[in-house]
Amino acid sequence: MKQLWHLINANLRKEYIELKRYFPNTITMILQFYFIFLAMLLGIHVIGDPQQVETNVQYVIVNYVIWFFMLTILQSLGFVILFEAQRGTLEQLFMTPLGMWRVLFGRIISNLLIFGILVTVLLVLSMLTAGEWLVFRIDVVLPVFLITTIGVIGVGYMLSGLAIIFKQIQSVLNVLQFILMGLAFVPLSVAPYLVFAPFVKGIDMIRLVMIHSYTWNDFTALDYSALILNSIFYLVFGIFIYLKSERFAMERGLLSQY
Amino acid sequence: MEKVIEVKNLEKSYKKKKTKELVKAVDGVSFDVYRGEILGLLGPNGAGKTTTIKSICGLLKPNGGSVHINGFDSNKQRLKAVNYISAVLEGNRNIYWRLTVRENMEYFAGNRGISKKEIQGKIDELLNFFNLKQKEDELVSSLSRGMQQKLAIAVALLPDTDVVLLDEPTLGLDVETSYEVRSLLKRIVEEHGKTIIVSTHDMPVVQEVCDRTVIINGGKVVADEKVEDLIKLFETRAYCFTIGDELTNQQVTAIENHFPIVEINDKQINVTLEKEDDLYIIMDILKSEQTNIEKIDRTTVDFEQVFMQLVRGGDQHETTVASH
Repeated sequence: MKQLWHLINANLRKEYIELKRYFPNTITMILQFYFIFLAMLLGIHVIGDPQQVETNVQYVIVNYVIWFFMLTILQSLGFVILFEAQRGTLEQLFMTPLGMWRVLFGRIISNLLIFGILVTVLLVLSMLTAGEWLVFRIDVVLPVFLITTIGVIGVGYMLSGLAIIFKQIQSVLNVLQFILMGLAFVPLSVAPYLVFAPFVKGIDMIRLVMIHSYTWNDFTALDYSALILNSIFYLVFGIFIYLKSERFAMERGLLSQY
Repeated sequence: MEKVIEVKNLEKSYKKKKTKELVKAVDGVSFDVYRGEILGLLGPNGAGKTTTIKSICGLLKPNGGSVHINGFDSNKQRLKAVNYISAVLEGNRNIYWRLTVRENMEYFAGNRGISKKEIQGKIDELLNFFNLKQKEDELVSSLSRGMQQKLAIAVALLPDTDVVLLDEPTLGLDVETSYEVRSLLKRIVEEHGKTIIVSTHDMPVVQEVCDRTVIINGGKVVADEKVEDLIKLFETRAYCFTIGDELTNQQVTAIENHFPIVEINDKQINVTLEKEDDLYIIMDILKSEQTNIEKIDRTTVDFEQVFMQLVRGGDQHETTVASH
């Protein structure tokens, strides 16, 4: 456990150093998201039914933030393998006695923390600038969000597994943003079968809390069970697929190939 | 001597992409590595060196045979085995060019579960050892190739592993840096008590640094010997015949049929004999056409020649040399 902590720590430091070192990139990214949030907060007023402005703003912002988060985690896991293979450091990472899947876990946690802080600060800043405030219960949203993230991590592991075998999966990772958009924006009331898809249940619950002011008591035991089981299933399945892919790549000698 | 690594009947085949034909990259490779030695792993391109190295590191799963590191199977108990081995597989590409020297060392130590605080002393010691202390806060991208290479080796020395595997540690280095790296390798064994496996094409590295060498050709071990023994072995067998007359075609054919390692130039025959009796055979061939023998010399060989002869000799040498 202590070793895992040191590994997460090292990866967090590395991600932070790289953000600092690529400062112009980081600033561009920060500005980009600030203006996107701001545009959404202000722009929604002129789109759609004026009677439902509040709901529209909440709906778009919630979906966008969640979509951005999921995308960051999933793409970072897929791209980690590609970038490391390109640089020549992938096999070096595999030489850790803690196992590559833990290194990837370290990278996810680092990304989650860094981007989590960044998005929260930017969201608050853009709300402050626009004078539009999203009102929601953080005590309900946060646990649901964290449980949903567990499932996202699982899907990220699946993508990493694919990236180890098929190094040229950039296009898949690019298409992924549209698939994710579909999953993040479509409510379960419209497509109930999506409850089995990864993280859709969690996003739906977050939406209900943020837009319709749901509390803990408004959700049923079935809702909680579906959320937890979905996340655990995708995490376990994701790691399983990743480990199988890793083994396959080692059998075929694909690790260092790019 | 205590065995640290045991490679036993290692086999690995790949399917060719287009023809789907199975190609044996490694075919029954066996050798041991002993604590505190520097072992040179040699072979021409495509001989099976990289496959062997990656199997030792557990990065490649063999089709047959096994690799044990301190008793742990690098295939079945990979994460336990990796505890005892570190490697530099892609030279200066093994480190992050956008991090500084110290940041690289801290990151790779952290990835092995070592805390930043705990590793500082070791980092300082290695920075001094590799003469990189003054560069510790510089980005790797701004360092010379030699320094990057030294840093990659220093990173491999950070964890407390028994074995360090270096793939082409002197590749692309200038003469001076190559010399520096060679002397560092010896010091690593002496001062840090490590066992080193060096895979290289650089013969001076083998001749100066390695205690023993394993030569792989065509996926098989063709020699597993101490470097000086290998040179001696070839010195005692290498002869140069200076002749007064030109050889007939029959003589050339007969010599070439008998001796796989032979070079016939004008009035000189450079030949490596397999057995003591071979000397009489070549004399008989020369005598058959009354060829005048002016001089017979023993040839001195360097390791490069030994290597070339072993690799060219291929399978014929496998049994003779490997059994010594």
